[in-house]
Amino acid sequence: MKKNLFSNWYNSLLTIVFGALILWVLYVLVKYLIGVDTEIIRVNLKLYMAGRFPSEQLERLWGAIYVATATVAFFARATVRNAQMKATEAGLDFERSHWTDVVRRFWPIGALILFTLSFTGTFTPTLLTLVAAAIGLAAYWLGGMMPMWLIRRSWIILVAGLVGFYAVLVAFGGVGWDLWQGFFVNIVITVAGISLAFPLGLMLALGRRSTLPAVRVLSVTYIEFLRGVPMITLLLMGAFALGFLIPGDFQFSLFLRLLIAITLFQSAYIAEVVRGGLQSVPKGQIEAAQSVGLSPWKTMRLVVLPQALRNVIPAMVGQFISLFKDTTLVYIVGLLDLLRAVTISTAQPEFFAQGLEAVVLPFAALYFWVGSYVMSRESRRLEKKLGVGVR
Amino acid sequence: MTDSSVFADATQIAGTGEPMIELVGVDKFFGDFQALKDINITIGKQEVVVVIGPSGSGKSTMIRCINRLEVHDAGSITVDGIVLSDDIKNIQEVRKETGMVFQQFNLFPHLTVLDNITLGPRQVRNLPKAEAEELGLELLDKVQIPEQAYKFPGQLSGGQQQRVAIARSLAMNPKAMLFDEPTSALDPEMIKEVLDTMKELAQSGMTMIVVTHEMGFAREVADRVVFMADGEIVEVGTPEHFFESPTEDRTKLFLSQIL
Repeated sequence: MKKNLFSNWYNSLLTIVFGALILWVLYVLVKYLIGVDTEIIRVNLKLYMAGRFPSEQLERLWGAIYVATATVAFFARATVRNAQMKATEAGLDFERSHWTDVVRRFWPIGALILFTLSFTGTFTPTLLTLVAAAIGLAAYWLGGMMPMWLIRRSWIILVAGLVGFYAVLVAFGGVGWDLWQGFFVNIVITVAGISLAFPLGLMLALGRRSTLPAVRVLSVTYIEFLRGVPMITLLLMGAFALGFLIPGDFQFSLFLRLLIAITLFQSAYIAEVVRGGLQSVPKGQIEAAQSVGLSPWKTMRLVVLPQALRNVIPAMVGQFISLFKDTTLVYIVGLLDLLRAVTISTAQPEFFAQGLEAVVLPFAALYFWVGSYVMSRESRRLEKKLGVGVR
Repeated sequence: MTDSSVFADATQIAGTGEPMIELVGVDKFFGDFQALKDINITIGKQEVVVVIGPSGSGKSTMIRCINRLEVHDAGSITVDGIVLSDDIKNIQEVRKETGMVFQQFNLFPHLTVLDNITLGPRQVRNLPKAEAEELGLELLDKVQIPEQAYKFPGQLSGGQQQRVAIARSLAMNPKAMLFDEPTSALDPEMIKEVLDTMKELAQSGMTMIVVTHEMGFAREVADRVVFMADGEIVEVGTPEHFFESPTEDRTKLFLSQIL
């Protein structure tokens, strides 16, 4: 300690000054956290999480959460069993991961849910959350009885989950997506944005390398145009200009227009990330694939793309994280997401002009931080896992 | 070019006597640089031809033209009766018939050793998975590394990787094999295991063109040795002729430098 912090007089001075600074910051922070009044969060929690989602229909939202939980659990089980099957075929031991691994991977999300529940007035939300956990566990257990054909085609689970999710929310006089709000809408736009922008970006990246000049020019134009425009411009256009371009019969909701704007924008960036990956695959790989007689398409799909995508996992997840955080920009065009919800709550008469932004903005930031943190950790885990066969 | 006796020798193909690969008047340019100048050679079925020469002499370019990894600019290349053209179907037919082994192995790092070998048979020959894997394990046995089947290429030594690469080419059941300096990237102690595998392959009657600097291999295994310099075939002959009494000055100079 003496060697590191007090080796000579200016080092000692720096240590003392910065030590005092850190202590002072800690003191201010602790004093603030003890004295903070979270009444505004207690009152507005539903507004933050779900916006103006009709209260009498809230059970639909819980239903959707249950569908999502069950889907994820089912899909996770299918993935595990798939890996197990492959290992057995190869005559290798399959290391089943322990449940504590799952806790270690996703504890920030669990902690965030508990944190959120601590602001609820009644026991009902906690009970309903416990039901969700029970459904997740049950689905995982039931997944053990999944037939082989379903395990091999686990994408069916995701599609079924998506349809179920939408049906539970919307079918038979439910709540359309123009009323999906709060943090819920941030999550929906993130998931939908990633699942739409990724395939589109992939196609654009391949298009950019196409031997057909028309496809190449179109892809390059698209990518360069969309990358050259601020995302806010696109959101504003989606919100206000798109309506004039589309005939009256085909008008669609603000939510959908913004989702399209975000998808178009992000796909251009994802295309560039994928392009970087494609360039990172050595030419010898393509030559080897060609010399065993693989067609150009199979060379791309079976040899180049798997390596290219593995090489760009960090950049790709970085893009997804930025998409997640950028969903708050819908705030500007009036969609009631988490950020807008916390901002308008400080304008309510009983909370007006009390400096409560200092409470609610960190509160909102926490949700994005947890999401980004988990995504980034998962990306590192995936990198490690796929790194098994690195040259 | 050179005197006619050399060319008489060049057309005298070994092996069964029937032609497998024919190059007639092949030219190849990289920009203004002419990498191949009027290459004429016929390789017979079951013949082993070793190509030697200083670096930059066009050896690699020549064999890369044979399976169209490079596109030749003039002349014609015929492989097992198929004339190479721009037609992709045609090119793929030729690639199915010819295996290629690279200096840098070029194994697929994201696939296990067995998957590396079965990829071609399954995706190109449409062999069922079980059959392809049986074939793959058989070939791994042949190159003497059956225990590595479920490892990834990155976990293998260079020599083992190159033997996997040979097995991968053989899995397509090719009629001819092209070797592009297969031992140049290997540590000295691993060269022998790869050369032994190649020797066995030659003895089994495979048509082979081998670009290499391994003179011992050329002397022992080759039916004919081709010496190239500056994009030309300078001299072709049996190993005895080549190493005992070369006729061309450039050959003599090259041999004096390396032996």
